[in-house]
Amino acid sequence: MRHVTLTFSMIILLAALSFFTAAQPFQLPVLISSAGQSADVKLVKMLASRENLDANTILMATPSDLEGIKTLIIVPGFSSKGLGAAGISQEDEMNRVQELVNAANSKEIPIILMHIGGNARRKGQSDAFNALIANNAKHMIVVAQGNEDNFFTDIATAKNIPLEVVEKIAETGEPLGKLFK
Amino acid sequence: MKKIEVYFTLFILFITGCLSVSIAQDSSVSSNGMVATAHPLASRAAIEMLKSGGNAIDAAVAAAFAIGVVEPDGSGLGGGGGMVIYLKERGESYYINYYARASERGSESGYSGSNDAHTAKAICVPGTVAGLTMAHEKFGTLPLSKVLEPAIRYASEGFEIDATLAKLILDNIETVMADEATMNIFCEDGFPLMEGDRIVQKELGQTLSDIAKKGRKGFYEGELAESLVRGISDRGGVLTLNDFSSYEAQFTTPLYGTYRGYDIVTANAPQSGLCLIEALNMLENYDLKNAPHYSESAEILHLIAETERFVYADRTAYLGDPRVADVPVEGLISKEYGTQRFHQINQERLDPPRYRDVEEGDPFPFVKKDLVPVVKEEDLSGEGHTTHLSVIDKEGNCVALTQTLGLFFGSGQTVNGVLLNCAMTNFAYRSKNSINLYKDGKQSRSSILPTIILKEGEPFLIAGSPGAARIIATVIEVVINMLDYEMNVVEANQSPRFFVRDSEDFLYLESGIKPEVRVKLEEMGHTLRVYEGIDLFFGGVQMIYINPEDKLYYGSADRRRGGMAIGY
Repeated sequence: MRHVTLTFSMIILLAALSFFTAAQPFQLPVLISSAGQSADVKLVKMLASRENLDANTILMATPSDLEGIKTLIIVPGFSSKGLGAAGISQEDEMNRVQELVNAANSKEIPIILMHIGGNARRKGQSDAFNALIANNAKHMIVVAQGNEDNFFTDIATAKNIPLEVVEKIAETGEPLGKLFK
Repeated sequence: MKKIEVYFTLFILFITGCLSVSIAQDSSVSSNGMVATAHPLASRAAIEMLKSGGNAIDAAVAAAFAIGVVEPDGSGLGGGGGMVIYLKERGESYYINYYARASERGSESGYSGSNDAHTAKAICVPGTVAGLTMAHEKFGTLPLSKVLEPAIRYASEGFEIDATLAKLILDNIETVMADEATMNIFCEDGFPLMEGDRIVQKELGQTLSDIAKKGRKGFYEGELAESLVRGISDRGGVLTLNDFSSYEAQFTTPLYGTYRGYDIVTANAPQSGLCLIEALNMLENYDLKNAPHYSESAEILHLIAETERFVYADRTAYLGDPRVADVPVEGLISKEYGTQRFHQINQERLDPPRYRDVEEGDPFPFVKKDLVPVVKEEDLSGEGHTTHLSVIDKEGNCVALTQTLGLFFGSGQTVNGVLLNCAMTNFAYRSKNSINLYKDGKQSRSSILPTIILKEGEPFLIAGSPGAARIIATVIEVVINMLDYEMNVVEANQSPRFFVRDSEDFLYLESGIKPEVRVKLEEMGHTLRVYEGIDLFFGGVQMIYINPEDKLYYGSADRRRGGMAIGY
């Protein structure tokens, strides 16, 4: 299974690379936000820092936070703890994320999806957020465990979105950094 | 319903071929013994003891040590808890309170409730080792070294991270990363381990081995205690060697109540058994047995929710450490007070209309001796995390055990492999008159309420739950599902839950509560927050039902959590 995933990932990666020879790389400044209020966004902030990406992080970003932003990184994944800490309902969060995505699209700010939580951020209440972001992303970086059923691969294929699949959370930083070089 | 249970039993017996074959799943049926815990490996540890000739206490202690290893977010050597024990032959019940206790010099730490929950300043004196070794010494039959074997094995050899733990590590990554020793356990290359990865806790294995050799002293005295005190001090906390050497678990009587002919045996103050008894005393004034289930009736859900809200208000006002404050236990659990409180509920609408405006009752007229009334204060505890396990052996001895680190991953501080609690978060700090006001050496109140229910002297139900303040609502709902609605143990456990209390702005519901019920609840004045499906937010009940007719044990592990009930 892992071999198949890796082979498939390589193909996707090659497709992504060829795409980027022609496409303009993502640009700074970057805003990182959450879709589902999971703590994963904090890890993505760490990963971005390791890649020397000076990114602002706003967990509950709204359209007004996109002012001057050139790239939006969204980390999807539901966390009831996170929603509780934010004092909002799942419906509130979905409405906020939808508005943010709509605003990014209308301003032509590309969205990068970073799904790093594996199974812990799949199915259940997470997939509505995953699907919303994946369908609007210009690039996806995903930890393989979260794509064992090809959830992201299917969307990437259908919408012709470059997808990079890696095994470990720590490995997601490098492909993210390369998008800005 | 009983027919279904019989058919189910026959089916299981047919599959297994005989009564002594293990069945491992989230529900199970057996006659020789039954264990329900929040992790399969902890359940297996308990079964290992029963198969070795140990009793329910050996099994519960083995499971409790093991669960601290394999579910390290919820409990462990660095925490505390409580256990209700029922010895069938003696017909006697006992309660061991081993909750964490504030340091004799805790006030010197400068703990701040808003900033220090996940720091060493939040650490109180751990009670787990004292409580478990006390239970074993008084009632166990196997050597302590044998009882600790599974926990040592899991710690030293490691185990695979399950879905629940993987999610909790991610959800609490800031706590996990707050201390290098903790991060080294749960992270690799600076990022969290994931489901399927292996956790090895060599240092914890060594600490457990010391306890296996030396018993209670192995933890509270000598080199290990010195190392713990030093490690906590290095991280900014204040615990003394005397805190450790003087810590004793309290061996006491449980709290008793009755409900529709059943005997309720539960945790004594400052744990929250009295809340369960008060709620059941209130609900006894209503014929729930002939009423629709709360998931199908807004009126019934409203009635139970208001009962819970009133009980939480009383808890906030009156529950504290009885060693240093007057707790009107007798009044709170009296039938007369329950009836009076029940009639204060407006069954038509939310009253008072803001959840936070509910007032405590006056239990003092129902108390014989003179007590000093106290002042209400908002309870600050929020998303605390805990674990519960239930055990019964073939003789019918039972243990209901709930233990905790406080919040998820406790203080986040690990010394000698021991992840330490944050029990300081359970105290009140604002009002000088609060019964739960912090004081050096004091024990905070806690929501835990391990409970055993008897019917005519025979064990009927063993239950409890984690879930911080939600524990109380969750156990009330599970108990009425069993006793009033006569659900089988799996139905009772998986039935949708709800929660409201005196310091909330919402009535929290699982989406299994019918939409039309939700609409009606809003018309009655409730503000809802709905969780899709079932959610860990509403606890994780591990319970065992003992059928009075076929005498078989029916175990159920909550699907909201990765638990397992195993019979043999």
